[in-house]
Amino acid sequence: MSSSDRIVRHHLSDRVFHWVQALCIFVLLGTSLLPVLGVQFSWVMIHWVTGVVLTVAVLFHAVRASFWQSLSSMWISLRDIRTLWRGRELKPGKYSLAQKTVHHAATLITLVAIVTGFVMMVGIDGPFWERDPYFVSADTRGLIYVLHGFTALFFVTMIIVHIYFGLRPEKLHFTRAMIKGWITRAEYQDNHDPAYWRDPGQASGS
Amino acid sequence: MTRNAWGQEVLEGVSWDLLPVFFLAGVVIVIGHAVVTWVLSRKAKAE
Repeated sequence: MSSSDRIVRHHLSDRVFHWVQALCIFVLLGTSLLPVLGVQFSWVMIHWVTGVVLTVAVLFHAVRASFWQSLSSMWISLRDIRTLWRGRELKPGKYSLAQKTVHHAATLITLVAIVTGFVMMVGIDGPFWERDPYFVSADTRGLIYVLHGFTALFFVTMIIVHIYFGLRPEKLHFTRAMIKGWITRAEYQDNHDPAYWRDPGQASGS
Repeated sequence: MTRNAWGQEVLEGVSWDLLPVFFLAGVVIVIGHAVVTWVLSRKAKAE
């Protein structure tokens, strides 16, 4: 296949962000849930450091998405809603309604995890700060812990579903695009409406 | 839930008993989608 048959779907920086985020979430879930399942180890530092790495990655993505990419490509439009009953008759732009929904759900869960995580970090000693156990009231701290815990639980469900859809035969080109960056021109024409995602240009290399 | 020094109930964190519930929710969604997709594809082929 020549490079002229390939269309860029995800640039390298976006793919690196996705896989860094994925790795961070696996480490965060591992360090939080393995002790719950009885695997005891010193997990607190690994957990908060990974949380900080995830925060930096999310900030990078937010800036890049806001200024270098089209935010509208991720916005849920009325046309997206119509695809619910008109199916493949209406081809999506770059992202389908399901992909946008998963993105927004992941965004919400990640942001809640980050904000609550930073509040929880104030309650532990770190290399650059001393803990302040009275930063929030006991009631608020309880709520923060509940919200942070729910983000872990929601991520468990989301990861199972996300991996399943990523491995389905008809979605494999999306997974390949998240690894190699490109989809074929035929996949572009079969799955996307050029009026809503204009041909972004040819991919180079492999 | 736990109790503070004054015996009042306060939130402590999420119940980890919910972990299997969220895990099973993911499994149910996966199996449900796989079954529906399989049935629909068989129906489409039959037509």
